[in-house]
Amino acid sequence: MKFRYAMVCSSNQNRSMEAHFLLKREGFEVSSYGTGTHVKLPGPSLREPNVYEFGTPYKHMYEDLRRKDPELYKRNGILPMLKRNLAVKTAPQRWQENATDGYFDVVLTFEEKVFDMVVEDLHNRDHVLLKPVLIINLEVKDNHEEAAIGGRLTLALCQELEATENWEDSIDDLIIAFERQHRRKLLYSISFY
Amino acid sequence: MVGMMTAVSKGNLAGIINSAKFAVNTPSKLDHLRRLRDELSLAGDSASLPEFLPLVVDLHSDRSSPARKFVIEMIGAIGLKHTEFLPEIIPVLIAILKDDTPAVARQAIRCGIDIFRHSLVKVAIQGFYSSELESSLKLLWEWVLKLKDEIYSIAFKQGSDGRRLLALKFVETIILLCTPDPGGSSEPPADQIPDEILEDFNISWLRGGHPVLNVGDLSVEASQHLGMLLDQLRFPTVKSLSKMMVIILIKSLSAIAKQRPAFYGRILPVLLGLDPSSSVSMGVHHCLKNAFLSCLKCTHPGAAPWRDRLVGALREMKAGELAEEALHQFCQVNGSVDWKDDSSMAQEEKPSVKTCDADNSPGRKRSGIQDNNLVEDDHVSVKRARPSPNLSEGSAHELSCRDQDEVSSSGRKTAKGNEDNGPVQQLVAIFGALVAQGEKAVGSLEILISSSSADLLAEVVMANMRHLPPSRPKAEGDEELLLDKGSYPSIAGGDTRFRHLSSLLTDILSMPSTSAETDAMLDAQQSPVSDIEVQLHSQMMLLISLLKPEEVGKHATVIPSNNDAAYGDLNSAIVQPVEPAVLPVSSVTDGYLAIPFEITDIGDLDNEIPGLDSSTRSDGLEETLAVSSLVSTGVEDTSQEQVTSLDRSSTEILPSMSTDRSEELSPKAVSADATSTSALAENSGLSFQMVLPKMSAPVISLTDDQKDNLQKTAFMHIIEAYKQIAVAGGSQVRFSLLAYLGVESPLELDPWKLLQKHILSDYMNHEGHDLTLRVLYRLFAEAEADRDFFSSTTATSVYEMFLLAVAETLRDSFPASDKSLSRLLGEVPHLPKSVLKLLECLCCPGNSDKDEKEMQNGDRVTQGLSAVWSLILLRPPTRDVCLGIALQSAVYHLEEVRMKAIRLVANKLYPLSSISQQIEDFAKKMLLSVPMVDQNVEGRDANGSNSELEKDPNLGKPPNERPSVRAITKDISSDTGQSCISESTSSSSVTEVQRCMSLYFALCTKKHSLFREVLVMYNGMSKAAKQAVHWQIPILVRTIGSSSQLLEIISDPPTGSGDLLMQVLQTLTDGTIPSPVLIFTIRKLYDTKVKDAEILVPVLPFLQKDEVVIFSDFFNFDLIIRKYFYSLLSELRMSLYSIFLALQIFPHFVNLPLDKFQAALARAVQGSSQSGPVLTPAEVLIAIHGIDPDRDGIPLKKATISITDACNACFEQRQIFTQQVLAKVLNQLVEHIPLPLLFMRTVLQAIGAFPSLVDFIMEILSRLVNKQIWKHPKLWVGFLKCALLTKPQSFAVLLQLPPAQLENALNRTPALKAPLIAHANQINIRPSLPRSVLVVLGIASDSPSASHAQTTHDQTGDAVNSEKEITEKSKESSGAS
Repeated sequence: MKFRYAMVCSSNQNRSMEAHFLLKREGFEVSSYGTGTHVKLPGPSLREPNVYEFGTPYKHMYEDLRRKDPELYKRNGILPMLKRNLAVKTAPQRWQENATDGYFDVVLTFEEKVFDMVVEDLHNRDHVLLKPVLIINLEVKDNHEEAAIGGRLTLALCQELEATENWEDSIDDLIIAFERQHRRKLLYSISFY
Repeated sequence: MVGMMTAVSKGNLAGIINSAKFAVNTPSKLDHLRRLRDELSLAGDSASLPEFLPLVVDLHSDRSSPARKFVIEMIGAIGLKHTEFLPEIIPVLIAILKDDTPAVARQAIRCGIDIFRHSLVKVAIQGFYSSELESSLKLLWEWVLKLKDEIYSIAFKQGSDGRRLLALKFVETIILLCTPDPGGSSEPPADQIPDEILEDFNISWLRGGHPVLNVGDLSVEASQHLGMLLDQLRFPTVKSLSKMMVIILIKSLSAIAKQRPAFYGRILPVLLGLDPSSSVSMGVHHCLKNAFLSCLKCTHPGAAPWRDRLVGALREMKAGELAEEALHQFCQVNGSVDWKDDSSMAQEEKPSVKTCDADNSPGRKRSGIQDNNLVEDDHVSVKRARPSPNLSEGSAHELSCRDQDEVSSSGRKTAKGNEDNGPVQQLVAIFGALVAQGEKAVGSLEILISSSSADLLAEVVMANMRHLPPSRPKAEGDEELLLDKGSYPSIAGGDTRFRHLSSLLTDILSMPSTSAETDAMLDAQQSPVSDIEVQLHSQMMLLISLLKPEEVGKHATVIPSNNDAAYGDLNSAIVQPVEPAVLPVSSVTDGYLAIPFEITDIGDLDNEIPGLDSSTRSDGLEETLAVSSLVSTGVEDTSQEQVTSLDRSSTEILPSMSTDRSEELSPKAVSADATSTSALAENSGLSFQMVLPKMSAPVISLTDDQKDNLQKTAFMHIIEAYKQIAVAGGSQVRFSLLAYLGVESPLELDPWKLLQKHILSDYMNHEGHDLTLRVLYRLFAEAEADRDFFSSTTATSVYEMFLLAVAETLRDSFPASDKSLSRLLGEVPHLPKSVLKLLECLCCPGNSDKDEKEMQNGDRVTQGLSAVWSLILLRPPTRDVCLGIALQSAVYHLEEVRMKAIRLVANKLYPLSSISQQIEDFAKKMLLSVPMVDQNVEGRDANGSNSELEKDPNLGKPPNERPSVRAITKDISSDTGQSCISESTSSSSVTEVQRCMSLYFALCTKKHSLFREVLVMYNGMSKAAKQAVHWQIPILVRTIGSSSQLLEIISDPPTGSGDLLMQVLQTLTDGTIPSPVLIFTIRKLYDTKVKDAEILVPVLPFLQKDEVVIFSDFFNFDLIIRKYFYSLLSELRMSLYSIFLALQIFPHFVNLPLDKFQAALARAVQGSSQSGPVLTPAEVLIAIHGIDPDRDGIPLKKATISITDACNACFEQRQIFTQQVLAKVLNQLVEHIPLPLLFMRTVLQAIGAFPSLVDFIMEILSRLVNKQIWKHPKLWVGFLKCALLTKPQSFAVLLQLPPAQLENALNRTPALKAPLIAHANQINIRPSLPRSVLVVLGIASDSPSASHAQTTHDQTGDAVNSEKEITEKSKESSGAS
């Protein structure tokens, strides 16, 4: 695998982790992040999310929620999701704090807001390496089903990218082809490390 | 030591270089190169470099592109570290720019950027200290410039995007390097440490007199290059660029613009000139938007003039929210004064934007101010408490507080709810525009309000609420007063106002008693214009007030009377009593509350005092843009203020529960209030600055529990209020608001439960249906909105629970005939699985254990099924699931349930063409499952211990159906419930078969052609199944009638369906006259396929009498003649033909098995009620006797037996074949020539059956004598038998026989002789007898005629002998039968 990938959503729970999970299984060099201030998970009511700090292990959240209301969190798919996540990595990571994780070749985001934040964040970092990084947004609705679909699309996209020698030379064609094939609109931008 | 090391590493290096050079594959090559890099950096000093650099550089022509790239990276790094080698390295870089692989070229450019920066800094710094550059540096700089030119040529030339990507980055970097950074220091740091300088280098450090670099030249050059970059984005060049290039260019330019605001004026026009619509792709569009946003955020003064244009552009790009947000952030940084200038300038410049955009901006800007205030509060004065939102404001405002929190924590406002209310904003704008038109728009406003959907109106209200400031109507009254003053041009002006305001406040606070006076004064001052405005706005207010009418009412009492005018309309609209002159302070609780609010407001004002204008004024100004465009400034001011104040007061309507909350405050808190109030009152004469610090007093910090409690109570209060609103009407809007409130509430208090309780407590009277729908739609929208994960997931979950709870309650608490449930399910936005499950339990009771009671209640099933039906009709997406439910119900084991479901499916659903096939398939599947199921049952019956067979039924059947001994042990839970249903396996299996078949049968009645399948299946069916079929067939066939399709099926029946077909035909003919077509079909069938005469039995009564009977004569024809007849008649009309076909029929009946013959006989004789008997019994018997075994091709023996049996059968039915009938038959038969074979047998039977017939028989016998019966050997035997049987009556007949025959008779039956002689010897008889007879009897002696008699006797004897054999044979055969 030539490129290093980052999957980014807001809480590093659902969409990015689904993609992370899939890509990791396929042998990609992949990390995942969230851009939110906190990790938010659905709570017992509409405005009562369970809020955790980034870096709180998935396992901890899992235990916590299972203790609170196993029935509810099983039903809305949170517990299974956390279980999946803890098999992928230890804890959710925040994009804005990933400077030490090295550079990525491709960053995939799943929400325009997140995309903007990543682009903005990269823009504000020092461009020392002058290494281009491709940031692609694939809009994925934040629920389990869509995340699964999004994950598969992401995998397909990354496989396409891997197949190119250098994305810099053919990104437009690749994006257009992908959009046409999967009937999904992609946003992309290019930043530098 | 060092030397040694060097020597070693030197040798080592050479080795590595070689192995790198000659490595076969890329990975190993890269490995070697990596080692080489490590070694080189290890070597550290430059001693070895001159020696090895050429070797390393040499590697750049390697075949493998990754290797080349690596080499370039390596030598680039070396160059940076040892600038002295750059003159050697740069040519390599230049050369490699044209490398075939873009990635390699990119690496070269990347190195170029660093090299340029390094070199520039180095050259620049050296220039500080000397007027002459070292020659090496000069050389370096020349090379660098060459490299730059090369890269530039790539950047501005059409070609590989991959190369240009970095070349443009290069250009960007150079431009930034060569232009002064306004943010950086303009003086070089005193101590030069080049590495650090590198980052902070600012070209403005350069002064005149640098030997090489000239700031002016560099700037000009940079400016030129910027121009070239811009040209790329200008039309038409931009058209030829790839998307990526456009994105890169936009990003580069926006970066330059942001860092060099001086270029704003050049860059932004180009960017703004990029037509967003023509820049096609989303990516570019988005990139442009972000570029604008980042430019907008730039704080440099040079950027300021562009701000409004950027905002405008962003609005066009539908990024208004973000723009406002950026503006807001900007204001936070720069202070509101600055911002106000800007925005007002913007509005002056672009008046056209006002109406459509203003709706967006004022609220935003306003909240901006609030945030600002709060922030300032926090920063400026710690002592001064910020108004506690929890205490002073309601939940709506708390939302905005939350938003503020988010702003401060993340720096980005999520702007919930604002993102998705485009139509809402439009509507607000329309309201604004209408209001602005003044009085004449009142009508239109009303129309608009009445025509807008309740949900939308609710959104409008909510949207407005969250934008409103946390002030109160109390204060608003004051403001209004002030503004009324302001409406007089003479005293317009901030200072006057403030003076006035302060005095007024003082008045109110210190001297409550004067307020009435003030009031009067105010009334006098009311200007007509403001009245109009008030009236118009009261419309809006009305909307808001709908939320909670009596709260408004309460509120009105708190509000001092001086805003009577403002609220006049409103109050009257709400029909709430207004207490005009209640004084705030004098009313204990309300007063306490009112005052702190007031203070808050003053605080607000005070914060704004440093500005040129009061915040209220500027607020008003902003607000007006949305709602007013009156021309006159003086008037405008007034109206604006009015709007503001009104809107402000409206904020308070929602949070006005504070009145209620005050009751919950701890006594301590209240007393604290009191003290603060009094303190305030004392101080009120002082200036504002003095008053302000006291504001901290009323703030009460509540624990979370208390807050929750307050909110909960408030919400419950609202719900309680809804119990009364049914009377007031307008529930549509109110429900929407309630649903909205539910979503927006902070949900520790679980508003859904409360709402649910409210709805279910009285579903009908609380308009539960409507409210439930509102709530569900709101939740659904929440779940579907493309929002974050947790809120949508939670909303889905709440939605499901809510709907389920309501549905369950409807089911349990309402009678089954109630349609509420069905209606609800039909109208909710989405049906989750659990609800469908509920429906299923309703339709198939007992599938879940809970519903045992319901099971008995068929009405529930009807309810469920009708719900399912309406769902199928109304909700196509759920059609499959619902159909599944209906179908499951249609094969339900309880007949009551099943029949209901079948009626639904067959009558209502099956006619729907879209699902009929599905239904048919299902029914067929069930039908096909029948034989298998049944065989299993039989297998088990026959072989109970066979466990193999035990398993199968459990797999193949629905779990509940048949209990078996084994199954119960295996599957107690599923089977026990049903075990009572069937006592024996056989009856249960019949039930089971019926269960599976009835649906199909029902469908057959709708689509007759389906019936064929039943016939096909029939043969393979087990006994139980057949039995079940036979039970159902009559009903089915009667319903179908003799339709053409059915006849078609009958005319071509599948093999093996005989019995069933018979039943069908019987049913078809039972009790009705079969149509001619049917008769014809059956006959044809008999003719062509089924040779079994049985098939004709059902229609027998309806055949023409001739058809059946003629044969008795017809059969008298010779075979040849009959054949001739056939051929002759077959040419004739069909009916005739069929008549003649029928001629053959009767003999075949006789050929039937006995039981069937009996049946046929009965039918033939009894006939149908309409037509009367086909044949009289006499005719039947005659017909039977007319059968000739030879002629009719029936084997003699069998036929004979059969015919005998047929006779027997007739005789058995004495009530039909009575004495008279027999007499008549015999009477006729005796005349037949030849006599029927069985004639004598029948006579014998007759005499046996009816002894009283004996006289009649004697008559017959004597006729037979006349007919010379002895000439028919078979009959002669019978005759004699009969004579014997009927002695002594028969003696007279016997004596009539000629002597020879008499002798023969006596010889054959000696038993007759003695009695006959005795009879003949009687005095009265003997003389009448001829002598020859007497001789035969031995009474008289022989006479001369004896010899003659002897001869005759001999002859007769021969005949008798031969007859004897035959008779014996016939006896045998009779015995056998």
